[in-house]
Amino acid sequence: MFWKVTFSRSLQSVIKNAGSFVVFGSFAIGAFLFSRFLTAYLLEDVKIGLFLFHRFISMLFFVFFISINLGNMVVSFSTLYRSPEVNFMMTKPIPHLTIFIIKFLDNFFYSSGTLFLAGFSILLGYGSYFGFPWYFYLFVMFGVLVPFMFLAGCTAVITLLVLMKLASKISFKTIIALLVMFYVGQIYFYFTVSSPIHLVREVMRYYPNVDLYLGHLDPPVAKYLPNFWVSQILFFNITEAHKTVLGYSTMLVLSSAASFIALVLLGDRLFYSTWLTSLTFKSFSIKNFELTGTLFSFRKRSRLAPQTESILKREYWQFIREPSQWVHLIVMLFLVVVFLSSVTSMDFGLQDPKLRTAVYLVVYIFDAFLITSIALRFAFPMMSLEGDAYWTIRSSPLSSSKLYWTKFFIVLWPLFIVGLALAVLSNYPYILLSPLPQITTVGMALIAVSLVSLNFGMGSYFVNYDEKNPIRIASSQGATLTFLLSIVLLVILVSVFFLPILAVFNSIYYEIPRKDKWLYDGLAVIGVLSAVVGIASHTVGVRALRRDV
Amino acid sequence: MIALKNLTKKFGSFTAVDNLSLTVPEGEFFGFLGPNGAGKTTTIKMMTGLFTSSSGSIVINGFDVERQPLEAKSTFGYIPDQPFLYDKLTGREFLYYIGGLFNMQKDDIASRIGELVEHFELGDWVDKRTEEYSQGMRQRITITAAFLHRPKTIIIDEPMVGLDPRSARIVKDSLKQKSKEGVSIFMSTHSLEMVEELCDRIGIIKDGKLIFLDTRENLHHHKSKYDGKLESVFLELTK
Repeated sequence: MFWKVTFSRSLQSVIKNAGSFVVFGSFAIGAFLFSRFLTAYLLEDVKIGLFLFHRFISMLFFVFFISINLGNMVVSFSTLYRSPEVNFMMTKPIPHLTIFIIKFLDNFFYSSGTLFLAGFSILLGYGSYFGFPWYFYLFVMFGVLVPFMFLAGCTAVITLLVLMKLASKISFKTIIALLVMFYVGQIYFYFTVSSPIHLVREVMRYYPNVDLYLGHLDPPVAKYLPNFWVSQILFFNITEAHKTVLGYSTMLVLSSAASFIALVLLGDRLFYSTWLTSLTFKSFSIKNFELTGTLFSFRKRSRLAPQTESILKREYWQFIREPSQWVHLIVMLFLVVVFLSSVTSMDFGLQDPKLRTAVYLVVYIFDAFLITSIALRFAFPMMSLEGDAYWTIRSSPLSSSKLYWTKFFIVLWPLFIVGLALAVLSNYPYILLSPLPQITTVGMALIAVSLVSLNFGMGSYFVNYDEKNPIRIASSQGATLTFLLSIVLLVILVSVFFLPILAVFNSIYYEIPRKDKWLYDGLAVIGVLSAVVGIASHTVGVRALRRDV
Repeated sequence: MIALKNLTKKFGSFTAVDNLSLTVPEGEFFGFLGPNGAGKTTTIKMMTGLFTSSSGSIVINGFDVERQPLEAKSTFGYIPDQPFLYDKLTGREFLYYIGGLFNMQKDDIASRIGELVEHFELGDWVDKRTEEYSQGMRQRITITAAFLHRPKTIIIDEPMVGLDPRSARIVKDSLKQKSKEGVSIFMSTHSLEMVEELCDRIGIIKDGKLIFLDTRENLHHHKSKYDGKLESVFLELTK
């Protein structure tokens, strides 16, 4: 019965599901292998030591926490306060707390499926390197990963409820400003107090005793953060300090449970009243965000062709007038700025070529990963956000391909600039190693174009005009598939540049002749790959726009 | 002018529109009736480029909709059954946007918006965001948008949804006036009263097939066979 209801037996559906299974499976295996390789490489080749390794894990989990938190907050705002479904349910004899809890859980599981898969595959790779027994994985899944993610989701919606309550007393603009400051402040504060550069320098003073627990180097505030607890659990699991592991895990599970109880109590008290408040938000926000007479005013003349101008201005106003869009963008760009300000001043004084290659590629892959994340969040949902009003386009004398390319270039140029800025600034410490910085910068520009093409093209292929929430679109099955393909692209990027970059650092260290041709060959491979990805994505995307709507 | 020839639309094994042929000459007001699920909206969606046909052809004002879609679409205005708009735009911005899509010049758009806002009595609402609009106000903006580029043909799917009696009157009069000016109007509706009042010719579709096609004058002859009501003719034909 379940199979009959859930799965269609049509050939197309079977192929689609089989394809998804293969891609998800490949991704899980890839994440597992990559995690295992990276753990081995950092601990055996680069020899950063167990303490520093787990502090990097802590930082990654901090970013993970903020991503889940912010994602849940934006999705919850749309589904709890803006969805016709909730409005409909509110007219029925259903307790508002039931609606609140069901929608919260729906949001959480909908947007966290891929993250669970990714997180668990990475932990499997990590665990298999250390040869942990099978029950370690069960413990990590249910005693660490699930409560950690659940805690992030609960605190997001608690913050949302409080902000919505405040919204009845202070202006909407102030609420948005508070929200931006809240997230930007958290990120800034965290990376200031736990400065990775400072930490690396301090830990390296203890070399070769870098596997020791150097807890006195941790900032005092870190001890209250769940990402720190996760890294402690993993570290002390290796040193077999089981009591400490259990202590941190209990703290995580109890915090998660307590946050859920707080969420339910607060939801019971605030959800209905804040939902009523939200009904008056629309007219309130409209008066506050009206901006006429600007460059993008529809009345203003333009040198662009009328159709191009219309689409450009419409996209601009839709973006500017939807706070969930630009708040998310500001937070993501802030992450980019924090990252850039760190990498441009990064000088570990490293000599070992393998270590230098690792540091270079980690920074490089993180550049590309930032572009991937922004492209998934903003380029993938772009065509779906035409929504039910897409009939205006299809019944007008505007060709599907013109619409496609206009929208593509609208989303491409900001991401291309971000990609270039990331590549140029993260290459700053290597400015004297010409042509390495030039070639990897061009490589990053090519990858940025292909990532945007992939996300935009696949977003058009998996278009869903019924979903208005961009974060839900960016968490859909099609988006997940696209994200996994993007990750494959990034792995290829690293693989292609690994040997040429290692050769550059080897030539400096061992004072042997440079093999710059390898760099040019790598760039050529990236160029061909980008062209293939771009052409395939655009072909699929343009064709998809001609489907019946 | 509209010419549908052997038009068919299949969704898998289901035939929604089955070999439909009809012509609506210049200046004619054509009423398209049928029970729910008969194929009215599917026909209109094929005419406006939202669906592709499985076979057959659609020619609007001399242009084949599937072979010369941009030329054909330049000549007609479309009013859908659900007036979905871009929520974040104001009514005026939406009209400018539509004007741009139809390659109109700014001055022309501005003057047309001025005329039509007054004609359809949109008032201050035109400068509020459409997310604030009622269903009727959305419908009025959609109708205004369809009139904006002076189309030679207007295709309408249920025009009176959500309109108050005064707005409905304005819309009916406007459509009638356009028809007199030589604009062909293809209107799908469930309102038999409206069809009797406005249409020159009427077609009834059932299970994707055209089962009735005649003028309003001849319709009176058909009505006299029953109890003098169009409703009875419709119910008898579609049972």
